[in-house]
Amino acid sequence: MKLHWSRTAVGRRGFLKGATALGAAASLPGGMATRAAAADDSTLRVRAYGDMQSMDPAYSVGVTDEEIHASVYNKLVQYKPGREWDWQLDAASMVEQVDPTHIKFALRDDIGFTNGFGAMTAEDVKFSFERIVADATESPNKPDMGPLRHVEVTGEREGTIVLNEPFAPLWSIALPYIAGNIVSRAAWSANDGKVTTTPPAESGPYLRASWSPKEKTVLKRNPDWRGEAPAWDNIEILPIDDENTAEIAFEAGELDFTRVSLGSVARYRDGVPNGGALLEYPSLYYAWLGMNLDHPKLQNPKLRAAIQHAIDVPTVLEAAYFGAVEPSTGIIAPGLVGNRAASKIPPEADFTKAAQLLAESGETNVTLKLDTLNKTTFTTAAQVIQATLATIGITVEVNVLESGAFWASAENEDLQLVLNRFSMTPDPYYATAWFTTEQVGHWNWERFSNPEFDQIHQSAFKESDLDKRAALYQRAQDLMEDSGAYRFLTHEATPVVHSSRVMPALRPDGLALLRYFEKG
Amino acid sequence: MTVLKSQSRSSQILRAVLRDRLGMVGLVIVTLVVACALFAPWIVPHDPNAMNIQDRLQGPSLQYLLGTDQLGRDIFSRMLMGAQIALKVALPAVFGAMVIGMLLGMIAGFGPEWLDSLLMLVFDTIRSFPTVMFALAVVALVGPSLNTVILVVMLTSIPTYARVARTQTMSLRSADFVMAARAAGTSSPRILAIHLAPNTVGVLAVLMAMDIPTVVALEAGLSFLGLGVKPPTPSWGALLKDGYALIRQTPWLIVAGGLPIIVTTLGFTFFGEALRDAVDPKVKKGR
Amino acid sequence: MLLGYALRRFGVAAVTLFVAVTLMFVMIRLVPGDPVQILLGPRATPELQARLTAELALDQPLLRQLLIFYGNLLQGNLGVDVFSGRPVTLIVLEQLPHTLRLIFASVLWSVPIGILLGAYAAARPNTLFDRVSAVISVGVVAAPAFVVALLSLLLFSVHLRWFPAIGAGEGFWDQLRHLVLPAFAIGLSWIGYIARIMRASMLEVMGADHIRTLRALGVAERPIVLIYALRVAVLPVVTIIGVGVGFLLSSAVFAEIVFARPGIGKLVIDAITTRNYPIVMGAVLMSTALFVTATTVADLINAMLDPRARAGK
Repeated sequence: MKLHWSRTAVGRRGFLKGATALGAAASLPGGMATRAAAADDSTLRVRAYGDMQSMDPAYSVGVTDEEIHASVYNKLVQYKPGREWDWQLDAASMVEQVDPTHIKFALRDDIGFTNGFGAMTAEDVKFSFERIVADATESPNKPDMGPLRHVEVTGEREGTIVLNEPFAPLWSIALPYIAGNIVSRAAWSANDGKVTTTPPAESGPYLRASWSPKEKTVLKRNPDWRGEAPAWDNIEILPIDDENTAEIAFEAGELDFTRVSLGSVARYRDGVPNGGALLEYPSLYYAWLGMNLDHPKLQNPKLRAAIQHAIDVPTVLEAAYFGAVEPSTGIIAPGLVGNRAASKIPPEADFTKAAQLLAESGETNVTLKLDTLNKTTFTTAAQVIQATLATIGITVEVNVLESGAFWASAENEDLQLVLNRFSMTPDPYYATAWFTTEQVGHWNWERFSNPEFDQIHQSAFKESDLDKRAALYQRAQDLMEDSGAYRFLTHEATPVVHSSRVMPALRPDGLALLRYFEKG
Repeated sequence: MTVLKSQSRSSQILRAVLRDRLGMVGLVIVTLVVACALFAPWIVPHDPNAMNIQDRLQGPSLQYLLGTDQLGRDIFSRMLMGAQIALKVALPAVFGAMVIGMLLGMIAGFGPEWLDSLLMLVFDTIRSFPTVMFALAVVALVGPSLNTVILVVMLTSIPTYARVARTQTMSLRSADFVMAARAAGTSSPRILAIHLAPNTVGVLAVLMAMDIPTVVALEAGLSFLGLGVKPPTPSWGALLKDGYALIRQTPWLIVAGGLPIIVTTLGFTFFGEALRDAVDPKVKKGR
Repeated sequence: MLLGYALRRFGVAAVTLFVAVTLMFVMIRLVPGDPVQILLGPRATPELQARLTAELALDQPLLRQLLIFYGNLLQGNLGVDVFSGRPVTLIVLEQLPHTLRLIFASVLWSVPIGILLGAYAAARPNTLFDRVSAVISVGVVAAPAFVVALLSLLLFSVHLRWFPAIGAGEGFWDQLRHLVLPAFAIGLSWIGYIARIMRASMLEVMGADHIRTLRALGVAERPIVLIYALRVAVLPVVTIIGVGVGFLLSSAVFAEIVFARPGIGKLVIDAITTRNYPIVMGAVLMSTALFVTATTVADLINAMLDPRARAGK
């Protein structure tokens, strides 16, 4: 199930029917009148993890902003809702890869910007893409656009994207995601390029009607949108960081759609209140236990191997994720190029082998500190690891940190073991980026340094042969595992619930594609 | 008459507390909590940290009186153990705060004017932060642990003791026996230690009894925010934190974390009030 | 005399505010992690990191950072949010009404009940009602706000579904519905607090000479309580409300977290955990100022009513 960015998959409607069946959805008899249902027949209320930060895609901080941007701006191509990674045309009427470094496109002629900024032209595409990579923009999303040289404008609505070198992630994370949003050159220039929380011009099926910080963002239907009309008149996006709170709100009928915690999956499998349904999607996240290779206590390779073997991944997942997730084999999830079929060390612990390794290591009275975030999922997992390592005689002290201190762990020289999770975009390039030698002192907290790994990270994104590319990333993960610095745990999962009024449209990792949400 | 608290005086106070029906109830609860804390390791039906993932998130049963948490640990046992954690935090914190607060308060009340103003300013400052903000900064600074919680709790309650000690010292400063001691050439530290401290301790002891619930609640609050004790320590706040995260999987974690805090608070407050009435009968007038 | 006291009291308030804000400034900067790392995240370019470091003066010595902060503060400039670029003043002022509404609602329902309970108990000392009221008032003091918040969330939102679980709501009635549980949680412990102060104050007033004279003159007990005693006895309660603002702010932080309500408490917790320095300082400044002002005003009212309070500084 590799990621082929071809354009073959099932139609959206066909997929949605399938998804509902797959999602083990059971309905309860419709109960009390829900607030969302009672309020307004055409207002969709969904939850976002965080609040909107910027309306400028160049400074988008990720999923929260992108859910809004994807609704009010257009891209050449958009992710196609479904279970398999794919894209579909949006603002482009044609996109064609001419050779590994040239991509020709033509824009539709019926897309216009609001506030009198006129029709969308190839100049807007050129402006939008080139400013992402321009040094002066200081965009955190620059890496997504990779080796973009420039965009050649060949007609009012035609152009060619020119790359410095082949860049496989162009189709998976550049064009259909944050960096691919096309903004109005005229509107941005009118604002001296400084767009913060108010969009100067929009073009998508929705317009951002209002924003109340920490309360909600309201989208309303764009009357001038000429594409396929969206199903909902209004979308209210409520920032709720805690999944548990979101579930309470959903069950109280205050939300139509939300991601739910893995701990609630078992309960929702037995039925979702108010006639709603549960959909289970995989996730691209990766969680792992890391060991700081520079720490004096962790210098002995046999000790690290003993720890790797003594962690029983299925038990950790059963306890922390309520058995709703599968063990992972590395940092690249199934469905993406380079996913490993199996890890070298099986997920199940081998306590005999671990004890033997520990004895061979000659280490005695091992006491280690395990840092993790103060979220129940992580503290639960940490306590299981603590208990299992105790069975081979390793004492673990669980050090729970608030997020500020935790994410500053690069500065912490005394970091020993760390239970961590990173988010991910649908391209392996994004995963290996954090474990290079260059990242030591930044995000490579294990201080893993391997020349071959660095080399793979530098070259694999240019490889257009999928099988060869996959082999490279698999090798990279073998190297990580062999270093003894990693015990891969899981890619987690994305369970979402929706009310009976709505038929959600989701990316294969469960991310909401709001503009394609249908009525239920 | 320099030392109010003689043998007969203490038994007199005890009798007064026992006569007060609420005081009696308070004393019973306090005794129960202390007994739980002391004997928890022997009376818990299960090892409070023993995991049994197959049995997780169960409702109450004969085997697990309050059900089990997400790791299949017995909630009832963890609740009992929680009493020990609560007192482990509360007693040193309250005692430490009392000693330091008394010292600083007496210095403020007895020392030069500028020192008094300076100390009062520091106390006002600490008091003027919402406790949680102050705690959050301190925990982030020194890292979370049982000792950090004790430190935070101590820092935030020192001002209360210091203020009371200061008032008490000021009111006694011009008392006859202090004047006499001073005329006899006794040094200031000696006057503080011999004449003023014993008369301040009584009032502060009452305050301590009344303060324990605040401290227990503060510990719970910090642990609830994920800034408290380290896992798997079964503090009541830790139970509440997990209970909030698992609020629809099991209500029992919140019950097991919340009710003991309320009961403990009730007990110490009833007891403290009765104690105050006994120590200082004039506030009881009209009753 | 009163003016002198007021001036001195405001001086103390200003110094307290200064020390508190400075302390917080230093503490938050000593804590591991800074906004360049935490807020900008892994994808920030070195140029952006460098620019933010310079903007926040993080490359300067701590003392200089502090001077810059106060320099800006004197010009009414609290800086801008690291991400959205919006003025911190605006961000804090947006959240303030939510917290004030919550505190106001909590006071509004708990104080009258507390006053009645305390007054009634004092009017009938040593009766069953007095005892019961004592148990109630001590008992509800016993409940830390966040424990009540959790228990009421569990019972009234999750199980009974009487009240909404999250947010602040829109429109008057909806906002009111959203206020019920958090205000209940925060206010509950206040009932007992107020009742006890009211009872003590009432007993003192009832024992005063002029009340005794009225009684001796044969005036009925009810008018004495309602017309003379209550009016005087309620004054200390007024000053207590001022002092209690700090306490209510702390409770509000928890209520805002448990009920996912917007407000200063939620803002400051989020800002501290993401090391968003400008917002941390803005919110701390606001809440400390609120507290210091409330206690100062309460002290002044107290001093106006009771000259003795002025003498002992």
